[in-house]
Amino acid sequence: MDPLILSRIQFGANISFHILFPAITIALGWMLLFFKLRYNATGDTAWMRAYFTWVKVFALSFAMGVVSGVTMSFQFGTNWPGYMETVGNIAGPLLAYEILTAFFLEAAFLGIMLFGFRRVSNRIHTLATVLVAGGTTLSAFWIIALNSWMQTPVGFEMRDGVAHATDWWAIVFNPSMPYRLVHMLLASGLTVSFLIAGLSALRYLYGDRSESMWKALRTGVFTAAILIPIQIFAGDQHGLNTLEHQPQKIAAMEANWNTGPNVPLVLLALPDEAARENKFELTIPDGASLILRHSASGVVPGLNDYAGNHPPVFPVFWAFRIMVGTGVLMLVVSWSAAFFLKRRHSLPRPLALVMVPMALSGWLATLAGWYTTEIGRQPWLVTGVLKTVDAVGPVAGSQVALSLAIYLILYALLLIAYLGVLVYLALKAAKDGDASPLPGVLDAPLSQPAAK
Amino acid sequence: MTLDWPTLLPLIFAGLMGLAILIYVILDGFDLGIGILFAVAEDGEQDTMIAAIGPFWDANETWLVLAVGLLLVAFPLAHGTILTALYIPVFLLLVGLILRGVAFDFRAKVPAGRKHRWNRIFFLGSVIASLAQGYMLGIYVLGLDVGHGGMAFGALVALCLAAAYAAMGAAWVIYKTEGELQKKAVLWLRRALVLTALGMVAVSLATPLASPRIFDKWFVWPAMLYLSPLPVLSAVLFAWLWRQTFHLPKPNDRHALTPFLTLAAIFTLGFAGLAWSFYPFVVPDRLTIWQAASAPESLAIILAGTVVVLPIIIFYSFYAYRVFGGKATDLTYD
Repeated sequence: MDPLILSRIQFGANISFHILFPAITIALGWMLLFFKLRYNATGDTAWMRAYFTWVKVFALSFAMGVVSGVTMSFQFGTNWPGYMETVGNIAGPLLAYEILTAFFLEAAFLGIMLFGFRRVSNRIHTLATVLVAGGTTLSAFWIIALNSWMQTPVGFEMRDGVAHATDWWAIVFNPSMPYRLVHMLLASGLTVSFLIAGLSALRYLYGDRSESMWKALRTGVFTAAILIPIQIFAGDQHGLNTLEHQPQKIAAMEANWNTGPNVPLVLLALPDEAARENKFELTIPDGASLILRHSASGVVPGLNDYAGNHPPVFPVFWAFRIMVGTGVLMLVVSWSAAFFLKRRHSLPRPLALVMVPMALSGWLATLAGWYTTEIGRQPWLVTGVLKTVDAVGPVAGSQVALSLAIYLILYALLLIAYLGVLVYLALKAAKDGDASPLPGVLDAPLSQPAAK
Repeated sequence: MTLDWPTLLPLIFAGLMGLAILIYVILDGFDLGIGILFAVAEDGEQDTMIAAIGPFWDANETWLVLAVGLLLVAFPLAHGTILTALYIPVFLLLVGLILRGVAFDFRAKVPAGRKHRWNRIFFLGSVIASLAQGYMLGIYVLGLDVGHGGMAFGALVALCLAAAYAAMGAAWVIYKTEGELQKKAVLWLRRALVLTALGMVAVSLATPLASPRIFDKWFVWPAMLYLSPLPVLSAVLFAWLWRQTFHLPKPNDRHALTPFLTLAAIFTLGFAGLAWSFYPFVVPDRLTIWQAASAPESLAIILAGTVVVLPIIIFYSFYAYRVFGGKATDLTYD
C-alpha cells in the first residue's frame, strides 16, 4: 500500500483526534476561572460545585490532549522526516517555545488546580487556574503561529533546499496568523459553551433543578449567544484574508471553476473534478462576487488559474459547508435558549432536547473548519515551499497500515469511553444536585490551610 | 576544535537533550514503575499508589515531549533517521503512553464497577511503554541494527529497564506511603533491584560484544582509569541500597526518600556512561551532533528562550512537588 496516503490518513486521524481536546481545554480553563472568580466574589458554593464538576472534564480532556499530542510530536519524525529536514529551522523554534513556555506551565500547575484546593491557599489555587488557562492559550498561540506559517510562509529564505529564518517577527505574526488564532480561540469558546450548555440541558431533562445546574446552563448559553455572532464576523474576515493569500483555497471552497466577474454563490452542489464542473448546483446569482468582493461585478478567482496546483475540491467544498451550516444552527439554538432563559427564566423541553446533541456541535464545526483549511492547503505541506509528497518518510506501507489500524481502533474506543464518562459525570451531578458534600469548601470557605 | 558558536551550540543542545531525557527517565520512571507494580498490588493499595503520583504525572511526561522536541528542533536529520528506523517500537511506546495516560483519569471517573478494567489498562500501558523504551535504547545502542542479534539485545535491555522502573516505582512508594504498603514496597524494591542488577550485568557484558566501537571507547588506557568511577560507584550504590532494603522502613520514617535518590544517582551514572559511549554521535556511527544540527541562528533563538525558561520550569516543578509533599492521601478534586 502507498505509504503517502496511509501516512496522510494516519496524521489526519491523529490530529483530528487531538484537536478535539485542546478545543475543550483552551476555553474551559477560562470558564473554570470564571466559576472560581464568581465563587471568590460571592462565596456561593454552587459556583464551586460547578467548578468541581467541570474540572474533572478538564482533567480528562487534558490527559487525552497530552497523550495524543505526544503521539504527534513523534509522528513528525516517524512519518514526515522531510518536513523537519526542510523547514526544521523555522518549525523547530516555534515548537520548542510551545513546549517551554506553555506546555510545562499547564502540566505543572494542573496538579495544584485539580487536587490542591485543600493544600494551598485559595489565592494560590486561583493563581494555578489562571496559569493553566493562560498556558493552554499560549500553547494555542505557538501552534497556530506554526500552522499559519505553513499556510502563508514569510520571513525566511531558502539556502540549499533548506529554509532559514530571516525575520522571526514576520514568521510568528505571518499574514494569516492573527485571523486563524482569533477564529480558533472563538471556536474553542463555542465548543465549551455548547458542551456545558448541552450537558446542563441533559441534567435539566433528568429533573435536576439545582443551583449549580442553572449557573452552568446560563453560563454556557449566554457565552455561546455572545460568541457566535463574533465568530461569524471573524470567520468572514479570515475568509477575506485567505482570498488575498491563498486564492486557490477560496476557489475550492466555493467550487468556482472559472475566474471571472458575476460569480454565483454555490449553496449546494456535487463538484466533479474530472469534468471540472459542478453537478446539481443550487446557486444565488452574483453571490460569491458580492460576499468576496462586495460588488456584483467583482472578479473571483477560479480553479482554472491553478490547474494541477489546487486542493481537491469536493472535500474542501463540503467541509466548509458543514462548518457554516453548523455555525448557523449554533446561532439559532443559542439565541433561542438565551431568549427563554432571559425572558421566561425557563427552558422548554424540546429546546433542551435539541441542546443535548448540540453539545458536540463545536467539535463538528471545529473539525470541518480544520479540514477546510488543511485540505485546502494541499498539494502543499508548506505553501510554495514543500509538497506533502516530498516530506513522507521511507517507512514500509505495511507498517504504516498496521499502526494506522490500531490507532483508529484505539481512538474510537477512547472516544466512546470519553463521551460515556461525560454523560456519567453529568448524570451523577444531576443526582447529587446541591446535596453533594464539598468538605474543602464548607469547612473553610476562603482559606484552606495547607494539609500536612 | 575551535570554540565558536557553530561548534558550541550543537554541543549545548546535545547536553540539554541529555538532561531532558535523564530527568524524564527518573521522573516518569517512578510513575511507569508504579504502573508495573500494579500487577502485585491489591485494590486499596492501587488507589494509594495512584494518589502518590496523581498530581505529578502530567508534568513528568512533559519532559519526554521536551526531549523529543529538542531532538526534533536541534537535530532534525537525526530525528527523522532514528524515528523511521524505530517505527514499530515508537508506535508501541505511544500506544502504551496513550493507554496509561488516559487510564489514569478514567479509573477515577468511571462508575465503580468499571474501575478494575482501567486498572488493568493502566498496568498494561505502563508495561508496554517501559518495554518499548528499553527496546528502543537497545537498538539505538547498536546503531539502529534491527537484525536478530539486535532484537535479542533490545529485548534484554527492555526487561532490564522495566525492572529498573519497577525499582524506581517501589522506591517512590516507600517515600510516599506508610504502614503495610510501605513494608511491601521494600520487598518489591529488593526483588526489582536483583532483576535490575542481573539485567545490567548482562547488558554490560553484551554491549562490548555487540558493538566493538563502544568497546574501544571504554577499554583503552588511560580512558579506562578516568571512567572506572562510573561502574565502581554504581556497583557500590547498588550493593548499599540492597543492604538497606533489609533495614527499611526505619523508625520515624527516616531515610524514606534515600532509596529513590540512590536510584536516581545510579540512573545518572548509567546515563553518563551511555553519553560517553555515543559522543560525538547522535545517530551511532552515522551522524555526529554537528552534522545533524539545525542552523546556528535557529539554535541560538531556542537557546535564548531555554536559558530564561528552564530555570523557571525547574523552580515551579519543585514548588508543585512541595505542595504535594509528605505521605500520599486520597486525591480529591474538592
